[in-house]
Amino acid sequence: MQLELDKMLAKIKDSQWALADIDWDAPGRELVTENKELYPKLKAFMADLMWIEHVGARGFAAMAKKAPTEDLREIYRYFHAEEQKHANAEMALMKRWGMLDDADTLPEPNINIRLVVEWLDTYADDMPLSVLGSVIPMLEITLDGALCKFLLDTVDDPVCHAAFEKINADEARHLGVDFHVLEMLGHGPLYRQTLEFVAKLLDPRLMIGIASYLPLLNKMRDNLVELGLKEEKLYTAVQKYERIGGTPGGRRNPWFRLISRQGRWVIDRANRAYHVPVDALVKLTAKIPPRALPPVPTWVKQLTWKPAA
Amino acid sequence: MNDIRIPGFKRRKKATIVVDETPKPSQKMVDVLIVGAGFAGLGTAIRLRQAGVHNVVILERGTEVGGTWRDNQYPGAACDIVSNLYSYSFAQNPDWSRSFSGSGEILGYIRQLVKRFDLERLIRFGQNVTGMVFDEPAGIWNVNTADGQTHRARAVVMCQGPLSNSSWPKIPGLETYRGHKIHSARWDHGYDFRGKKVAVVGTGASSIQIVPELVKQAAQVKVFQRTPGWVMPRPDYVSPEWSKKLFARVPAAQSAFRELLFWVHESMALGVVWTTPMTSVMERLMRMYLRSEVKDPWLRRQLTPDFRLGCKRILISNDWYKSLQAPNCELVTWPIAGMSPKGIRTVEGIEHQFDCIVFATGFDVSKAGSPFPVTGLGGRNLDSDWARGAQAYKSVNVSGYPNVFLTFGPNSGPGHNSALVYMEAQIGYIVRGVGKLLGEDLAVLDVKPEVQKAHNDEIQKRLRRTNWNSGCKSWYLTEDGFNSTMYPGLATQYRSQMARFDGKAYRTVPMTVREPV
Ligand SMILES: Cc1cc2nc3c(=O)[nH]c(=O)nc-3n(C[C@H](O)[C@H](O)[C@H](O)COP(=O)(O)OP(=O)(O)OC[C@H]3O[C@@H](n4cnc5c(N)ncnc54)[C@H](O)[C@@H]3O)c2cc1C
Ligand SMILES: [Fe+2]
Ligand SMILES: [Fe+2]
Repeated sequence: MQLELDKMLAKIKDSQWALADIDWDAPGRELVTENKELYPKLKAFMADLMWIEHVGARGFAAMAKKAPTEDLREIYRYFHAEEQKHANAEMALMKRWGMLDDADTLPEPNINIRLVVEWLDTYADDMPLSVLGSVIPMLEITLDGALCKFLLDTVDDPVCHAAFEKINADEARHLGVDFHVLEMLGHGPLYRQTLEFVAKLLDPRLMIGIASYLPLLNKMRDNLVELGLKEEKLYTAVQKYERIGGTPGGRRNPWFRLISRQGRWVIDRANRAYHVPVDALVKLTAKIPPRALPPVPTWVKQLTWKPAA
Repeated sequence: MNDIRIPGFKRRKKATIVVDETPKPSQKMVDVLIVGAGFAGLGTAIRLRQAGVHNVVILERGTEVGGTWRDNQYPGAACDIVSNLYSYSFAQNPDWSRSFSGSGEILGYIRQLVKRFDLERLIRFGQNVTGMVFDEPAGIWNVNTADGQTHRARAVVMCQGPLSNSSWPKIPGLETYRGHKIHSARWDHGYDFRGKKVAVVGTGASSIQIVPELVKQAAQVKVFQRTPGWVMPRPDYVSPEWSKKLFARVPAAQSAFRELLFWVHESMALGVVWTTPMTSVMERLMRMYLRSEVKDPWLRRQLTPDFRLGCKRILISNDWYKSLQAPNCELVTWPIAGMSPKGIRTVEGIEHQFDCIVFATGFDVSKAGSPFPVTGLGGRNLDSDWARGAQAYKSVNVSGYPNVFLTFGPNSGPGHNSALVYMEAQIGYIVRGVGKLLGEDLAVLDVKPEVQKAHNDEIQKRLRRTNWNSGCKSWYLTEDGFNSTMYPGLATQYRSQMARFDGKAYRTVPMTVREPV
């Protein structure tokens, strides 16, 4: 997938929208609030979704410091902000649906999110572009992509549809750039990529990251199934990562290969070798008392559902 | 009463424009016409007259002298080079009240120059130069102004200033904003910031002086940053009485102090102009300074530059970091998506609403193209000659444009030292050039194209090794990354390059028919 980054940047700049463009008080909220069965599950789902957007935002912030060209750096600066915008918009939906406990507190992140936030805050800026640039497309295509589609299938509120029309349009551009970069990362001598890959895999900082990322995925999968998402949909999304990313350049990138392999494991419940330990990690992390974690980093505090400040 | 005005500075009563009361198609001819009455234009006039050239006129589009320091009177405006060095060596001022004097005091110094050297009668205010054409047979420049006058001169010195045209940023919807807009270089002293929600766009040299002052007055200040710069604290002090007395009584003491300051700045070039071990040491020190001032890791990350030191102008401030952390101040690093009637929309989807937006967004710097149409030999024009980046010989002369001299011409910019050090060197060179032109009664004094080319090849070769050309984007470079602004070396090297006027580098044609004067 070849892409002219300067044109993409111009397109991104031309496609900006703001929370104020959406009428958050338009009729239709009862389609959610009066659905007693859906409501509590959706509340948990929205909180997860919004946190994942926010975590994605932080990932792009890290990438903005590593990108090899000025155009790509600028694109990542925009993506960082756009993911934040998605989180803000999703919070605005939660507000609309009465899912925020009070106007100034954020939805409670689950412990696995907290761990990922913690890891991102401590290590993301030290990770090379090859790691971030390979993980991000996976997150975007499965979580962002599949989740958003699913949400629209489940929720009838027109305001939700209006918001996600904009969010999805952004995501289409994100994916375009993500896979362009994935391909780009595969260039360069194979031996060097492999060496760097092995060296990085042994980096304890990355291991901690993997240890916080894997349970998050499993937990998310469980939440989704709970909400009624067909597992095949996730499976299709993971396959899409493999298919689009599997360009000649992509396949040469060891990170791509690791992540597609792992993606398959996540959705294959029969793979006990993977799921037994990871599910154990989910249970284990659930036991971590929130007090044991340091206070959330200040970048989290910039989240807001208020269209105007 | 608004208290943001710089103390000690009184604005002159509005516009007594001294328009030449006898407009005529053919003005009296002068030996030297100077465009602009800022530091450079006035300094040139002083030195020319000291060298015996008296038939001089200065055209100034404004209504008073001072250029940069007349225009930039925002709260906190001050020089960031110690005043003793940011002043002329031939007109030292023992009375600087502090190390880094404020805009008002610098303007006072410039006005003092006008008085002391009796320049007022040379200046024609309200004369905006719109173009000039060389009359080759006569060896004379015809200089046109906006009010339809034509001035005639044997030589022209272009001192219109590198940073004299303030620029608004290209933000979509800029014109839709309904609140109050202020540009840093055209401050609105009548606006009362108390109780207001204020935005400051930009985090360059002007912004870091404005924000600490606004934070003291406004209810809320949000600062919009695109890229953070390197920030260095400055030794800010009030001049002790004894030093003023000493400098007044023993000028040599002040010269010695000035020399010391000069060498302190020169030594910084090793870190600022080129990437050397000193660059890393300086970067480390500035990071330590940031760390000591800013405790929050995320804010620190937002304020950490991602380019090498020297690639852009180093920012000098003691209170920038502190004021950003004031309870009523916030740093916004989201990209700006556009402006709306009520404020600024950033890409994270939020509309930040303000009573007033301050644009500290700098200047249109002409790096390619000429400031106004200049037509030289055989009808060639400077704008197209410079379309792909400005070039000159020793930053002062341009081949094909005889008898024209520039201050702050191509590749004359200092990255680490006082602009006035460079300016003095240019002025010295110009005075020698004008001396040759008039002394030998030449119609044409034109630098040879091959000499200019060789000079530029050398400059560009040396630039490749500097920080400015190390891959970062800055206003020093054109869109294509051509560097026509900075001088790749020490001020000492620049000075010695300018110390000699090499007649052999120029093609000369003697004046044959003398125009009646
Ligand atoms: C806010 C600020 C702070 C600075 N601080 C420092 C510092 O600390 N140290 C340092 O070394 N440098 C500093 N500089 C750089 C500064 O520009 C120079 O040091 C110096 O003041 C430039 O003087 P000048 O005479 O060349 O130009 P200017 O001072 O800009 O004067 C040019 C004059 O020409 C007039 N003019 C322009 N075009 C025309 C025209 N077409 N017709 C007629 N007249 C015209 C203008 O009105 C103006 O009066 C600073 C610049 C700014 C903007
Ligand atoms: Fe998103
Ligand atoms: Fe995305």
